[in-house]
Amino acid sequence: MTDDTVHQGGCLCGAVRYRATAEPLRASHCHCKMCRRHGGVLFQTWVSFPSDRFTFVRGAPTIYPSSDIAERGHCNRCGTPLTFQYLDKREYVSVSVGSLDRPDEVTPTVHFWAKDMIPWLSMDDRLPRRTRH
Amino acid sequence: MTDKTVHEGGCLCRTVRYRVTGAPMWVAHCHCESCRKASGSAVVTWAGYTRETFEVAEGWPVRFASSPGVTRSFCPHCGTPLTYETERRPGKVDVTVGSLDEPAEFAPTAHVWESERVAWLHIADDLPRHEQTGPL
Repeated sequence: MTDDTVHQGGCLCGAVRYRATAEPLRASHCHCKMCRRHGGVLFQTWVSFPSDRFTFVRGAPTIYPSSDIAERGHCNRCGTPLTFQYLDKREYVSVSVGSLDRPDEVTPTVHFWAKDMIPWLSMDDRLPRRTRH
Repeated sequence: MTDKTVHEGGCLCRTVRYRVTGAPMWVAHCHCESCRKASGSAVVTWAGYTRETFEVAEGWPVRFASSPGVTRSFCPHCGTPLTYETERRPGKVDVTVGSLDEPAEFAPTAHVWESERVAWLHIADDLPRHEQTGPL
């Protein structure tokens, strides 16, 4: 059987592992206050895949309903923030770029919520900056 | 005179709240693979405190032994990464700047683990870049 895995990843402790059989729809930085706090970071980076080309191969994230419109997943053993999904757009799922085994293999193409970007954080790229999303 | 300013922080769901007292000993961007995995991000920024200047005010962060001698804590309800402690630096507690209520007040003064930086990440600054732990 052909292994058609394109990207794979999981949490720090290995309890949760996933694979995707497609290239990402998009990789994007998010500077919104919720993503920053959820990751404990100055900005987060999400990589989205079509849901029907994405599966968990070991374990599953613990889901936290972070707002009226989205939910976030993490590993309950090691805490790794893993997923973000809009409740009304379940046809795709976003994974945290740091959870990918090879984050170098995806390329972020945009900054979202640039209005909330930390003022002194100077990202040296020429990517478009969307005020919100 | 010692700076006694109290800074507060905590997780996304606000179950865990903590306080740190005074200015951090250091603030640095860490590009290491472990921190990237633990945060899900390309880079994590840490502020260095001590066991005496860090205090959990509410909630019960979960502690996880992520590698030999290293303990990371996070909120079990929402996953927010909160602290890092290592036996290499006894008595020290590093907090994620992103979990502080006012992260913009904690500008870093160095990069560490530049050797593991994600290739497409370029934070433009003149800060010293240490291939590994550097001064920490």
